[in-house]
Amino acid sequence: MSFKPKILGFLCNWCSYAGADLAGVSRIQYPPNIRVVRVMCSGRVDPLFVFDGLLAGLDGVIIMGCHPGDCHYIDGNYEEKNKTDLLIKALEKISLADRFRLEWVSASEGVRYAQIVSEFTEQIKNVGPSPLSGDNPNSKLKEDVEAMKRAFGDIRLRTLVGVERRVTESGNEYNLKIPLERYEGELKDALQSEFIRNKIMIKLEQEPLSVKDLSKLLEIEPSEILQHIVTLKAKNLVDFDRIDEITPYYSAL
Amino acid sequence: MGENLNSVLVIGGGIAGIQSSLDLANRGLKVELVEKKPCIGGRMAQLDKTFPTNDCSMCILAPKLAECFRHPNITLHTLSEIIDVSGEIGNFNVKVLKHPRYIKEDVCINCGICVEKCPMRVDDEFDVYLRKRRAIYIYYLQGVPSIMAIDPEKCLYLTKEACRICEKVCEREAIDFEQKDNEIDLKVSSIIVATGYDQFDPSVIPTLGYHRIQNIVTGLEFERLICASGPFQGHLTRLSDHNVVKKLAFINCVGSRDIKHNPYCSSVCCMYTTKEAMVAYEHDNEIQSFVFYIDLRAGGKGFQKYLKRGEEDYGINYIKGKVANIIEDENKNPIIIYEDINDLKVKKLAVDFVVLATTMIPKEDAPQLAKILEIELDQYNFFKGDPYSPLESSREGIYLCGACRGPMDIPNSVIDASGAAGIAAEAAVRR
Amino acid sequence: MEEEIRVGVFICHCGTNIGGFLDISALVEYTDTLSNVVFTQENMYTCSEVGLTQIKENIKEHNLNRVVVASCTPRTHEPLFRETCREAGLNPYLFEMANIRDQCSWVHMKETEEATEKAKDLIKMAVAKASRLRPLENYQVEINQSGLIIGGGIAGMTAALNLANQGFKVILIEKEPELGGLVRFLNKIYPTHENASKILEIRELIKSHSKIKIITSAVPIKVDGFIGNYTVSIKKRNEIYDINTGIIIVATGAQPLKPIGLFMYNGTSIINQLELEQRLKEGKVNAQNIIMIQCVGSRIEERKYCSNICCMIAIKNAMLIKELNPDVNLIILFRDIQTQGVIYEAYYRKAREQGIVFIKYNPEKPPVVKKHTIEVYNEYLNQNMNIPYDLVVLSTPLIANEDAEELAKMLKVPLDENHFFLEAHVKLRPVDFATDGIFVCGSAHWPVDIPESIIQGYAAASRASTILSKDILEVEGAIAKVNKELCVGCGICIKICPYNAITKDEEGLAEIMEAVCKGCGLCGATCPEKAITNLHFTTEQIISQIFACGGR
Repeated sequence: MSFKPKILGFLCNWCSYAGADLAGVSRIQYPPNIRVVRVMCSGRVDPLFVFDGLLAGLDGVIIMGCHPGDCHYIDGNYEEKNKTDLLIKALEKISLADRFRLEWVSASEGVRYAQIVSEFTEQIKNVGPSPLSGDNPNSKLKEDVEAMKRAFGDIRLRTLVGVERRVTESGNEYNLKIPLERYEGELKDALQSEFIRNKIMIKLEQEPLSVKDLSKLLEIEPSEILQHIVTLKAKNLVDFDRIDEITPYYSAL
Repeated sequence: MGENLNSVLVIGGGIAGIQSSLDLANRGLKVELVEKKPCIGGRMAQLDKTFPTNDCSMCILAPKLAECFRHPNITLHTLSEIIDVSGEIGNFNVKVLKHPRYIKEDVCINCGICVEKCPMRVDDEFDVYLRKRRAIYIYYLQGVPSIMAIDPEKCLYLTKEACRICEKVCEREAIDFEQKDNEIDLKVSSIIVATGYDQFDPSVIPTLGYHRIQNIVTGLEFERLICASGPFQGHLTRLSDHNVVKKLAFINCVGSRDIKHNPYCSSVCCMYTTKEAMVAYEHDNEIQSFVFYIDLRAGGKGFQKYLKRGEEDYGINYIKGKVANIIEDENKNPIIIYEDINDLKVKKLAVDFVVLATTMIPKEDAPQLAKILEIELDQYNFFKGDPYSPLESSREGIYLCGACRGPMDIPNSVIDASGAAGIAAEAAVRR
Repeated sequence: MEEEIRVGVFICHCGTNIGGFLDISALVEYTDTLSNVVFTQENMYTCSEVGLTQIKENIKEHNLNRVVVASCTPRTHEPLFRETCREAGLNPYLFEMANIRDQCSWVHMKETEEATEKAKDLIKMAVAKASRLRPLENYQVEINQSGLIIGGGIAGMTAALNLANQGFKVILIEKEPELGGLVRFLNKIYPTHENASKILEIRELIKSHSKIKIITSAVPIKVDGFIGNYTVSIKKRNEIYDINTGIIIVATGAQPLKPIGLFMYNGTSIINQLELEQRLKEGKVNAQNIIMIQCVGSRIEERKYCSNICCMIAIKNAMLIKELNPDVNLIILFRDIQTQGVIYEAYYRKAREQGIVFIKYNPEKPPVVKKHTIEVYNEYLNQNMNIPYDLVVLSTPLIANEDAEELAKMLKVPLDENHFFLEAHVKLRPVDFATDGIFVCGSAHWPVDIPESIIQGYAAASRASTILSKDILEVEGAIAKVNKELCVGCGICIKICPYNAITKDEEGLAEIMEAVCKGCGLCGATCPEKAITNLHFTTEQIISQIFACGGR
């Protein structure tokens, strides 16, 4: 039986949902694989929903909002773009980026809506069923997605993304404007460290492990693992479990 | 507050009429919105994108159309026109002639089966005659009210008593050929005229080749060609051979600033030719555009910035000079013969496609309406306003807004409309 | 939420639009198996009188407390069905739609089996969300039915008079000791050369109006509150007092640029247009060779905009001078002549017929003002010219007031890059600010002339009256709510809200101003602590939709 992708779509009420309706009124045909969740503004879509979609076994997720400048709520789509830019970097790390898209569709673009849905469906067909779907989801990937979801649910990344536009365009509390490139660099570093930290947490929730164990499991240098353990310990998220000979074991609190 | 729920008559359901109606309705007054066509929306519904933000015209218009349609204080009279007005400010008696739609308005669900089966092909006015519609039709796909209408001049049954296929296929039994013209009497405290404009027909300037040369269109036709919901679904191709357009020319002031035709300036062409060039470039970034102008008029908010963007980011070439003549070569490429003011030389430029920015002229029936309303027109047939309070016509209680009083862009039409609503509200409440 | 969720699902055939493509009986069968669904019905036309009556009857008969209609698009039909629920005694927010027509049967006409499968998922998603919907009430906001207008120039006065004539109390505050703004300094105005003083006659109407209170020599210093409930502190000389108002109109105007350092400006033989107006008023223009230069200090790198009105001003003053003395040599050096429209283009033509000479100059080779002549490169003749003068008049743009930034901060409204006030949307809401209840008109918004200022004054008043005419403003219930237990007061939501609808309470925690919130959801998606709930589009509801269609 050939693979029939199931795609989750977030459509904003004023532009993309209207564009989809127009495709309907114009009877423009497209593949029946998309399942639409209507929101008022694309800016409502928390990246966590995308991770939830992937964890629920959907093969692809697409967010569609108004073209820049057209947002019914003035700049909701700009904020959404910042969130999805980081989300795409995160998905690239775990090789899921080709299962996600952000597109702009206006209320008069029925044809474009149908085109995008067709293209994305084709893309997902080529990429194949999601490794997280079906009866035997890939457990390693599942852990990775869980770790990313936690990273995006945590205060550090959410704060950095939340103030990005303001800090890079008008300036922070000290009236200092941070150049976009530098900010994106900081964001990338934060993403990487939050991801690794959450991966460590997930492992330590399953069983107490040593730095060497973690280094082997996650394929990361022991020195890097230790740095993260130190931070996690300072935050009271992990603690010593026991010491075997000279090797300390840690567990999640 | 002493709210006497007086009504205000708004003539014209374009963006100006709609904005006035919404302001008045939200102010608590009742509005009778009279529109000649089967749907409201006017010219703005025909545009693809609008300057200076290049946002999609229909996208920003649609919520206002929906709000207008649903507002408890607004009564929409489509397919209607004013035939008589008497009385005075605070107490006008208006006779409205409502033409039959031949469709039961609360039954039709706009499913489209009738359109599919109708055998008549008619030139589509909304798409500026660039495509055909049927005798039963919706004025445009996103039209409000989203109900069909039958064109009595093209319907086989209404002209020749044949066919009636639509009636057979309509599952809701919404077709009603028995409908007749209906006269309604309205009592209103003031009247707002928002009837909009027409486009100058450039075929009276034979040197510019309109209709003689296939690959020359007007600005409004170009909007429909480049619009995603237009006859070509937004894929701009030449009308002669459907080849792609790589060199595109825009001629400003066609018929305007011209003592032989319209001595006045059409206000918006400098901006909209830039916009159309930008939109064309967005569709195909190999397109090279040329704009021929006399003065580049861009005094509105953000307008200078817009022109600069056109020049720098979209590669638009602005050429100061009047176009004398357009001829055609054997491949139907238009060749523009013009005087370049920069070096005072007469030059030729061969392009693939030409857009003529024609004058915004008053509606053909403006004199008729002016007579019924007993208000003055200027020498061009635009409705005449007081020089220092331009929204007030020559008759107390009748106000003007939008392009019916002179060429104007959308931002100014919306401001006009709110302004007229303010004056009308004052008139309604004080009486 | 302790009560049992009882969902009723109504599946529409829409004639053959849906029924002709999807297997409705399979959908009914499937829907009956969904958890929380206690009643399923198929209708021919759910939105018909018959269909609506069936919904109402079945709500009562089966004690339904959630309703799902699987039919067309909520964008057109949600209000109708919500109203139907309300009529049956059910809170209208306990209703959800599944779009199985516009986004299903109409677009998958050749894949009816798969379309039916898709419709099953869509219905399951709608039921999942509906099960988690909560009843919401629309908020009532009391409106102070009076207005405050900041700025007593022609735009502000027009707005004030219109609102007062509509019956609203108006307070008009003005920085200067008298009303009138820039018009006080004008001589005659275009296009009819009326005396500027005629326009100022409106001052008498304002002074004698029982509903208008005028406070001159006063400036605002603090603004608090929200739509319908603003408190503005104003300072008049050494006194400070508070004004409570429902709306605010900004009509603070603009200033003509003094071209210091440009084109040898000296205020005596090289002046700007406003100074020329003063001289014309006093009858002191005796020069015989006058040259006007357009675009002085505008359309340049430091100030890129075109000030819209300077061409007409220059032409007007030129024509007035020519009328008094037809032998005067009058030359206007321009880049583009901005005389749009019917009346202004005719005015320009008349000026040329009067013998005023217009010479185009290139901004890359600007005119050079020497001791007795101006050297200019004439674009039309392609040659340099040295034109003698005894008076040079520089046409300068209107620039934003210096205190515009301060006022903008007070009102929490934005300025554009030229420090003119930035409206909510240049086409849809040109005289509104994104912040509800505050409006702008006149040259504070963009350089405009007198007729346009008057129109904008009316427009702002009209927009304001849509609020003032209500004593209670009803606001949609689907807004945001802060969980103060989780909020840490970081303030990110406050800065990110496009409508400035969030403030800090006395403890520094975020608080949503219900009257202003538009329900976009940005705050909820951004809050680092996930402390904000977006009602009717909650995270719980959205996730239930995701899991309803997910999995295979």
